[in-house]
Amino acid sequence: MKILYFELLKLRKKSRGWVGPILVFVLIMTAFPLTVEFLNKDLDQAFFSVLWIAVMLVMMLATEDIFLEDYNDGTLEQLAINDESLSFVISLKIFIYWILIGVPVSLIGSFYGFGITGSLDLALYVLPVLMITSYIFLNVFSFGNALSLTKGSVLGTLITMPLVLPLLVVLGKVVIAINLGLNYFGFLGLLLGILSLIIFIIPLIISFIIRAHLE
Amino acid sequence: MFDFAFDTFSDAMIMQSQNGQSHGPYVWLVVAIVFVTIAATFLIYKYKIKKISLKIK
Amino acid sequence: MIKKFIHQFASPKTYLYQVSRAYPYILFVSLFIYIFSIFWGLFLTPEDFVQGNSYRIIYLHVPASFISQSLYAGMAFASVIFLVWKVKLSAYLIKSIAPIGAITTFIALVSGSIWGIPTWGTWWAWDARIVSTLILFIMYLGLISLHDSFTNYDKADKFLAILVLVGSVNIPIIKMSVEWWSTLHQSASITITEKPAIDPSMLYPLFGSIIGFTGIVICLVILSSKLQILIREKNKSWVKDYV
Repeated sequence: MKILYFELLKLRKKSRGWVGPILVFVLIMTAFPLTVEFLNKDLDQAFFSVLWIAVMLVMMLATEDIFLEDYNDGTLEQLAINDESLSFVISLKIFIYWILIGVPVSLIGSFYGFGITGSLDLALYVLPVLMITSYIFLNVFSFGNALSLTKGSVLGTLITMPLVLPLLVVLGKVVIAINLGLNYFGFLGLLLGILSLIIFIIPLIISFIIRAHLE
Repeated sequence: MFDFAFDTFSDAMIMQSQNGQSHGPYVWLVVAIVFVTIAATFLIYKYKIKKISLKIK
Repeated sequence: MIKKFIHQFASPKTYLYQVSRAYPYILFVSLFIYIFSIFWGLFLTPEDFVQGNSYRIIYLHVPASFISQSLYAGMAFASVIFLVWKVKLSAYLIKSIAPIGAITTFIALVSGSIWGIPTWGTWWAWDARIVSTLILFIMYLGLISLHDSFTNYDKADKFLAILVLVGSVNIPIIKMSVEWWSTLHQSASITITEKPAIDPSMLYPLFGSIIGFTGIVICLVILSSKLQILIREKNKSWVKDYV
């Protein structure tokens, strides 16, 4: 609990770290209808594509220096030699990022969904998908940033983008499933399954990577 | 099983199909790309190995 | 005895001497099989009823596509060996396979795109198999960039192995993409459980081209691994004797 509170306080204090990505998301979702001359009925078709890409980009932005500051000031080294499991601390860190960035982005995205499509049902269906997907993205991009800890976030992005692209294909299918009323819970189950694997494996891998960096 | 699919050399180059389309350019382009890529890869690696061998000597 | 054999072969020196001896024979045999199979496929097989003569690209496209995925699976296996048993040779092999994998995936993508023009009327379609192969290509490039960005080889090897293992989730997705999603790309003509969906007159040169191309790629991997070993072990005395 102490670690959770400490990480929460650290991120909250660094307001550009969590407010920035949320503002970028709002900017993207507000700006995209202005840049295309869609009729209203076409706007909601493009909306979901823009929504998934915006969530992906914002989660990438959010995790840009998730470990860098702690690496530079020696906190990671302290955590590595502490009694507390490093992978547990990392999973808590990612969880905090999800609470402060992922959840607000999901709520805002769902709200925009309602605003653009006019369908409350659609917005409510999209919300859990957004919440699960943002958590998955946070985990994957944290992994990329851990790998390229001292090499800049661009390398991390390049190497983890291919892992995220199949997920975008699934998200495209989710939209079709919602619109046609087909197998929505199946896709939700699939995403939850992916998340439940990632949530355990990725922090373990990241802790291994960080220990390798610290050697 | 070993009957030639084409009667003349130019038939083999053009590879006209029953639907009237000439598929030869596509097929030969792919053949060229594959063989050039493989050959170039071999040559590049041979060159790099030669270079580092000279350095080691 | 097996442990002794593995231990012996896991030494870069033994590996290099052994593969250098085998290399010319593998190259000669595989080139012969590949060129013969390509000749057979291009000139001696009948035209396809649906695709006409453009189907002949299959003898170049399918081996490249198959090998690009197999190489990644090989890298994943080598990554496990490296991370669990710390065998240095595995790390060298992972690094040397990555560029060859990128090249074979490039061949698969280009040949597939060209094949798509007469078959589907387009050189590119955003369908699952093509996109997942493009993702594989990007992954190979990412692996090469990751390793090259580190000056410390030990760290680079470890991170490369981890990324290979994490990325190996993409391989079943590529393999099964034509079954899981409705795509333009045709489904597998050759499967383990069912009769081949391709006539024997076309099947045999296809097998030959796959075997031949596999041999050629093995030779490329041998060259690449030779280069890696010479770079990484250049200060050892046996390397000076070898060159």
